[in-house]
Amino acid sequence: MRNILQEIKNAVRSRSIHVSYVDVGSCNGCDIEVLACLAPRYDIEQYGIYVHNNPREADVLLVIGSVTPQWVDKLRDIWDKIPEPKVAVAIGNCPISGCVYARRGTLTSPPVEKYIPIAASVPGCPPRPTEILSAILSVAPLIFKDYEERKP
Amino acid sequence: MRSIIYYVREFLRPEWIRKFFTAKTAPLETPSYFKGYPTLTGNKCTACFSCMMICPAPGGIAVLRKKDGWEPEVYPGHCIRCGLCVEACPEGVLSSGRILDVTAHDGTAFWSWYHLEVDDNICMRCGNCCVSCPVNRQIDPQLAGSGTSSSDEVIMRIEGGRVQILHEEKCTGCKTCETNCPNSAIRVARMVEGVQIPEAET
Repeated sequence: MRNILQEIKNAVRSRSIHVSYVDVGSCNGCDIEVLACLAPRYDIEQYGIYVHNNPREADVLLVIGSVTPQWVDKLRDIWDKIPEPKVAVAIGNCPISGCVYARRGTLTSPPVEKYIPIAASVPGCPPRPTEILSAILSVAPLIFKDYEERKP
Repeated sequence: MRSIIYYVREFLRPEWIRKFFTAKTAPLETPSYFKGYPTLTGNKCTACFSCMMICPAPGGIAVLRKKDGWEPEVYPGHCIRCGLCVEACPEGVLSSGRILDVTAHDGTAFWSWYHLEVDDNICMRCGNCCVSCPVNRQIDPQLAGSGTSSSDEVIMRIEGGRVQILHEEKCTGCKTCETNCPNSAIRVARMVEGVQIPEAET
């Protein structure tokens, strides 16, 4: 009985991934690529991924941009607001290395891993919508499948 | 009534149900002409570092010494996939998308030289740049501590109390003059220009 319930939960969760994205100081190029995922060409919703922009409803947090000082504490707040199970995906080069902002005289402090745990990262400046899509689709089952079973 | 039956029959079609519950777009594939991360073609790298010098992203590419010669390595977290390294490489070591085909078809290339500039306002005419320059020393071994030289072939010399740049094209871009300048008055800049060689000349 418990297994059937878990199977149903797994099936439903794999078809309903709620995404919230946060831009912690990027050039907006990656935001446009995330928006392109919503457009009919890529259509993120046919895979059961819904973009909500409300951290309290989200399962997946897309972190975009190298971290500016104003975002250091707020990013942590947003991450704490997301209910378990949750996962953060870094989109683009900026959260990984800072990309073009990783030079002297800029007020950024990449990588974003210093502030919140990142499960997956999508390199690229900007990454392609297909890469973002496949990253979300491949990382979500790893986190959400049998979540209750794995919890001690 | 008939229309209701029609709709029920339509929605019970297995094909329709499958389409409704599964993703409608085919798995999206990246076309071959998209610029991906540069990959090695197998040509031998001569360690000219053109790719590293033209890379606009900090830490995007590094030419590393491997057991048998040199090899460029691209770092995905830093690379922005602009493809400039592929275009700049004179040996065609890297390839990405159809950049190599397009450059071969159009006969385009990057031409680079070193531009020397002395700021006369902060230059104190010590002549350190002229003396330290390894190319200068090779051309005129007699080059004295004051930086004056009787040879016209040197890159630069002190002439009439100020640095005169005579042969910019001989500069190899080692920046020895920059590091030896007490006032950072001399600057070495690598200039890059995109050129297209007409088909008649090739």
